[in-house]
Amino acid sequence: MMQKPWFKLVIWILATSFFFMASSIIISHLSPGPTEHQSMRYMEGMMGAMHNSLMGLSMTIEEDFDLKRLIINASAITIPLICISIILGLYIRLIRGKRNAG
Amino acid sequence: MKNVRFDFIIHWLWTIVFALLVLSGLAMVGAKYGWILNYDIASADYIHRLLAAVYVMLTFISVAIEVIRGIKGDDKKLTWFIIGKSGYQLFTFITTLIFIITGVIIWVCMDSNIAAVSFALYIHEKLTYIVIASVIWHIYVKCHALLWPKKTEAKKNSMEAGK
Repeated sequence: MMQKPWFKLVIWILATSFFFMASSIIISHLSPGPTEHQSMRYMEGMMGAMHNSLMGLSMTIEEDFDLKRLIINASAITIPLICISIILGLYIRLIRGKRNAG
Repeated sequence: MKNVRFDFIIHWLWTIVFALLVLSGLAMVGAKYGWILNYDIASADYIHRLLAAVYVMLTFISVAIEVIRGIKGDDKKLTWFIIGKSGYQLFTFITTLIFIITGVIIWVCMDSNIAAVSFALYIHEKLTYIVIASVIWHIYVKCHALLWPKKTEAKKNSMEAGK
C-alpha cells in the first residue's frame, strides 16, 4: 500500500498540510494585533456559528409559527404511528409465519 | 488491498480527521486566526464538532483494541497504531485524552460555566500548538515514508519493451 503512487500523494498532501498549519500559527501569532475589520469579520462569523447552534435553531423555530405548528403536530402523531407500525409488523409477521408453516 | 492492516487504516484515518480538526479549530482561535478559513466560523464550528465525534470514536475503538490486547497478553508491537505503551504512541494517547476531556468541557459547559470553558479553551489551544510541533517532528523522523517508490528493473524493462 505504501508503495502505491496515489497513496504517496495523499501522504505528501497530509504532511505538507501540517507544515501549512504550523506556518499559519506562526504568521497569525506574530502578526500585529487584529484590525477593526478583522475583529468585525470574526464577530460576524461567530454570530453565524451561533445561528447554527442549538440555541440559534430553537430561536428560528420560535419565530416561525408554521414550523412550530408542524413540529407540534408531527411529535403528537409520532408515538401512535410507532405503535401502529409495530402492531402491523407483528400482524404481517404472524400471518406469514402461519402461511409458511401451513 | 488484501494485506492492509487495521492499525494502518486507523493511523491514516485518524491523521486525516486530525488535520481537518486542526484546520477548522485554528480558524476559531481568534480574530488574528480567522483568515485561515476566510472568517467562515459557522462552517469551521460545524466541521469541528462533526469531526470531533469521529475523532473520539476512532480513539475509543483504538483504546478498546489496546485493552483487549492487554487482556490477551498480546505483546506484538503494532507499528502503525496510534496509541501504545511507549514513545510517540504514549504521547499521542495522553494528548488525545486531554483534547477529548477539554473538548467535552468546552462543548457541555459553553452556556453555563464560563470559568471552566476559559480554562479548557486555554489548554485545548496551547496543546494544539505543542501537538502540531510534535507532528512535524514525527513527520521528520518518519520521512522515509515520503520517498517516492523507485521503479524496479523488471518494471523498467517491461515499460521499455512496451515502447
